[in-house]
Amino acid sequence: MRAHLKRGMPRHWRSLEERTPTPELRAEGWNEFAPGAAEPMAPPADVLSRRRFLGLVGATAALAATAACSKVDRGFIVPYTKRPVEVVPGVANYYASTFQEGRRAYSVLVKTREGRPIHITGNDEHPAFKGKTSPRAMADIMRLYDPDRLRGPRIDGRAASWSEADRLLVEALRSAKATGKGVLLLTGAVLSPTRRTLIADMKSALPGLEHAAWEPAAGDAELSAARASFGGPAVVKTKVGQAKVILSLGADFLGGDDPESVGAFAAWRRPERPGEPMNRLWALEGAMTLTGAKADRRVPVKPSQAAPLAFALARALNELGVPLPAGVQASALAPGDFHGTPLSAEEWGALLSDLRAARGEALVVCGASMPPEAHVAAHLLNAMVGGTLAQARPAEPLASLRDLDGVVRRMASGGYETVIFWGVNPVYAFPDADRLAAAIERAPLKVWMGVIEDETSARCRIVLPEHHWLEAWGDYDDGDGVVSLQQPTVGPLYDTRQGEEVILGWLKGLGAVPSTDYHAYIQARWRKEVYPQGSPVSFERYFEAALHDGLVRTESGIPAALAFNGAAVEAARGPSSAASEQGFELLLAPGYAVYDGRYANIGWLQELPDPVTKNTWGNPLSLSVADAEALGLRDGDVVKIEAGKAAMEVPILVQPGQAEGVLVLALGYGRSAGSVATGIGVNAFQLRDAESSSPNLRAGVHLTKTGGRRDLPITQAHHRMEGRDIVRSYTLAEYAREAAKGRSEGDLVTLYDPQKFPEHKWGMVIDQSACVGCSGCVIACQSENNIAVVGAEQVVRGREMQWIRIDRYYEGDPRRPRTVHQPMLCQQCDDAPCENVCPVNATNHSPDGLNQMVYNRCVGTRYCGNNCPYKVRRFNFFEYTAFKKDPEALAYNPEVTVRPRGVMEKCTFCIQRIEDARMRARDENRPLRDGEIVTACQAACPADAIVFGDLKDPQSRVSLLSKSGRGYKVLAELGVRPAITYLANLTNPTAGEEQA
Amino acid sequence: MHPFDRAFRLILPVGAVAVLVTVLAVGWFTEPDQLLKGYEPAQPIPFSHKLHAGTMKVPCLYCHVGATRSRIAGVPSVETCMNCHRVTKTDSPAIIQLTRIYESGRPLLWKRIHDLPDYVYFDHRPHVHAGIACQTCHGEVQTMDVVYQHMSMRMGNCLGCHRDPHAALPEHSPVKRGPENCYACHR
Repeated sequence: MRAHLKRGMPRHWRSLEERTPTPELRAEGWNEFAPGAAEPMAPPADVLSRRRFLGLVGATAALAATAACSKVDRGFIVPYTKRPVEVVPGVANYYASTFQEGRRAYSVLVKTREGRPIHITGNDEHPAFKGKTSPRAMADIMRLYDPDRLRGPRIDGRAASWSEADRLLVEALRSAKATGKGVLLLTGAVLSPTRRTLIADMKSALPGLEHAAWEPAAGDAELSAARASFGGPAVVKTKVGQAKVILSLGADFLGGDDPESVGAFAAWRRPERPGEPMNRLWALEGAMTLTGAKADRRVPVKPSQAAPLAFALARALNELGVPLPAGVQASALAPGDFHGTPLSAEEWGALLSDLRAARGEALVVCGASMPPEAHVAAHLLNAMVGGTLAQARPAEPLASLRDLDGVVRRMASGGYETVIFWGVNPVYAFPDADRLAAAIERAPLKVWMGVIEDETSARCRIVLPEHHWLEAWGDYDDGDGVVSLQQPTVGPLYDTRQGEEVILGWLKGLGAVPSTDYHAYIQARWRKEVYPQGSPVSFERYFEAALHDGLVRTESGIPAALAFNGAAVEAARGPSSAASEQGFELLLAPGYAVYDGRYANIGWLQELPDPVTKNTWGNPLSLSVADAEALGLRDGDVVKIEAGKAAMEVPILVQPGQAEGVLVLALGYGRSAGSVATGIGVNAFQLRDAESSSPNLRAGVHLTKTGGRRDLPITQAHHRMEGRDIVRSYTLAEYAREAAKGRSEGDLVTLYDPQKFPEHKWGMVIDQSACVGCSGCVIACQSENNIAVVGAEQVVRGREMQWIRIDRYYEGDPRRPRTVHQPMLCQQCDDAPCENVCPVNATNHSPDGLNQMVYNRCVGTRYCGNNCPYKVRRFNFFEYTAFKKDPEALAYNPEVTVRPRGVMEKCTFCIQRIEDARMRARDENRPLRDGEIVTACQAACPADAIVFGDLKDPQSRVSLLSKSGRGYKVLAELGVRPAITYLANLTNPTAGEEQA
Repeated sequence: MHPFDRAFRLILPVGAVAVLVTVLAVGWFTEPDQLLKGYEPAQPIPFSHKLHAGTMKVPCLYCHVGATRSRIAGVPSVETCMNCHRVTKTDSPAIIQLTRIYESGRPLLWKRIHDLPDYVYFDHRPHVHAGIACQTCHGEVQTMDVVYQHMSMRMGNCLGCHRDPHAALPEHSPVKRGPENCYACHR
């Protein structure tokens, strides 16, 4: 490290070019602007000549002068005919609802204005999520307003009516019932108890019905391992918040889709003073995940090495006196230790002693893409040292890819009279799409039900448009004692129906149920099964209260934990399913933003930088630093990847920290349906093996260089460190030393008059130790502040628009780097350099310490962006919002201006929220309370890393935190006096590493 | 007369005057106050503020309920009209038309009179709570049969009052000035 400093290299580095030795690469890396950043778009072919332009200007001026002589019509004001009592135009209403993704149900609050949803946050009534939710849940509001949505039913490609579709289907189902032929219903995971009841009703009305719940990105190994270890389908509920030591085997539990774990983990990472305890996170992983980035000790380990290592750990722990669970013989554990693995003796010893010392308070988590043996090993370790931190609970079974393969074979042999796809897209996600398409052809009647047409709907005769979840009813049981409700927050935008209601319609046609009202159907089940019998509260009141809160707690509903079955260890000892001498191991993980492809049509998510690679709009293949050197590849080189019979060309991205011999590719890209999704990235589902027990992991994969190159739309390399210590990271011991010294930096001498803040001085504290980099804040900000999506071509030129970005810095050896995340947004400097250079005073200072940006005054010189040391100003190079199609504009927040072309924009500390809180306080004739103003990023942060408030109030949370011993200002030496205090990152290294 | 003489004596002065008159006329007619003030469109229902607010003395806030609760004062829902007109003047043609609209559930499209640019976020609440009369900006609405725009509502009007609000405020008001920073209205 010292050596780097001496050579003038930054201690932290952001991309490999910064460390690269070749001078020309270095020069390219140090160029401040990305290639093309300063160039205008290529002029269109029918370019306007100067003469014609002047002629047009003259004519326009003359016409405008004539037209301006009459008073302009100002349109209409359209009041409600009957105003709903709860709606006051201009005031937001919040409704509790629930969003499902795979096997997770997120209890959320939906903010609506004049009856249309505009923003989603977590529901603060939820005991585990505590008001937080995942970035994808927040962005799914754009699916409601997606112009690609189906607007009515279609039969054989033509628009049709619901009654016609219903008639066709009821006839088909009647004949299937009479002949006893098979009917297939393929859905995603079913978490809703009422939907489960409905499917059970459907089964009893249609004995030939076969229901399969399939989640394309589930990884399957987790399920088969759970079946082997616990005797049935199970999910493992982990209590990250109670774990002193956490060992992650390729798990990404700190990815943004688990806000509960992020919150619980982050609570351990911010000791108020030195000496307070902190947890320790170990990560043994092949890919570089957010969890690995946050780990105190991270060792790159191939996925196939994880299981033997974990079994060896169990054996070594047993030798150290930790008893094995009942039914496991010590002899069942193969001899072996760290030899032959990337772990050093010191790391092995430290990990062993950590796990042993934290017995009962240690937790082992295993990633969904890992092989089944690794999952069994994790269950075994948890049974030994985990206490009650990891509890296996019975769960609804999911169909694995193998099961689906069986279904496809039956379909191909003509086994189904009718196939119904409900909210799933197997034609896209099945490895052999052609075989599946041919099989679907064999079924006489194929029905698809969903929100946006996809690859599967194109193969179906009857296409039924479903409500978006914000238009529909539902309920969810998370198996953890919370039943949450989903309620419509907007009337149906189109001629769509709730999926459950469509099925109720069929059942009614079969004479099985009396009505098609799903709301009544839910209530009937709740009255019978959820409502506490003999309660003094009427059911109507009870249900209304549940709707208001969005959930009810049913502690009695938590099933007992399942015991570990020792026989699983013996079975898992066989040869590793992923082990292979030849070729790379390919890890396929759900795309961070697009998941299994279901969000690929949402521009916000396509443009959300992957928190580790910082790549947007696509899925490059991640390659380790050593392999890239060996193969002579660098970022953007196109390679051909071959796995079994499948092959595709994909650009590569060199990923520091990735294990040697491991390739990582994100699922969910390469769609061929949807106007945004089509053609972005490659479809990695095609690289999966349909017969594998862990399809997300593939061994024996080969790479060949094609010689092609592609620009990667990466948001990271445009911003440089220039060797400055922008991010601070302390070990616990260093923190104790620093805290003892006290804060050293005083205020720099300034020539300017000090700013005066008569009433408030808004400020923020960002705790980098809590921040895991999940990027929830980025999406929340995008939704709150009407931020435009600019597209891959613009991102390549460094013109991304997000007001808050997560900078990710590496430290040390690129093969095994340490990583820190730093959310970067407008610092609202007291002596802001942007303000001095604006020729039209469009950016200036407010009396409460905000750096105001006035769009209507801005003429677009971009001097301010040029002069900003933090590079957080964003310029509208084009009319990005002009391409909006109906009804996308309904998602806009009406409290924030939509910026036109030629205007600079940036973070405002959510001025609309500040003003709203101020006005409310004023109406109630009281001062503002601390914590009353919550910025969108702060509300979304699952780690509670962001705190906003008044720095003039010495007792406010933000004032107290900004005086913390870990606090510092980024680029304090410039004397711009930013209003954001960063708290240094903390790590909890083992004793051996601290000395090293 | 030499052709040049005619040009200098006649055409040039006349031409110069014509140009000046054109410039002044266009300037006068396109002056923003001219365009904004006095806009008086016909409304779909000939509702008279003079009758309701003047003669009947119905308070402004009875109909424009948003003014104390929201940024937007708002136009009342048709139902608000029907509170009285279910029984009052039910035989007048305008009320018959109103009743028909109400019963059909179709929206009633009032012509917008006061319109601020989209980047201005005026908030009624603090102004109403400070005791500023509606008439200060909207004019003597209680005397208007057809409402027209009384003030041009440009930034100069806002700042003029924010810098010296005494005339608009009730006596002994604790308010000295209104905010003058950009973010008070623009965001």
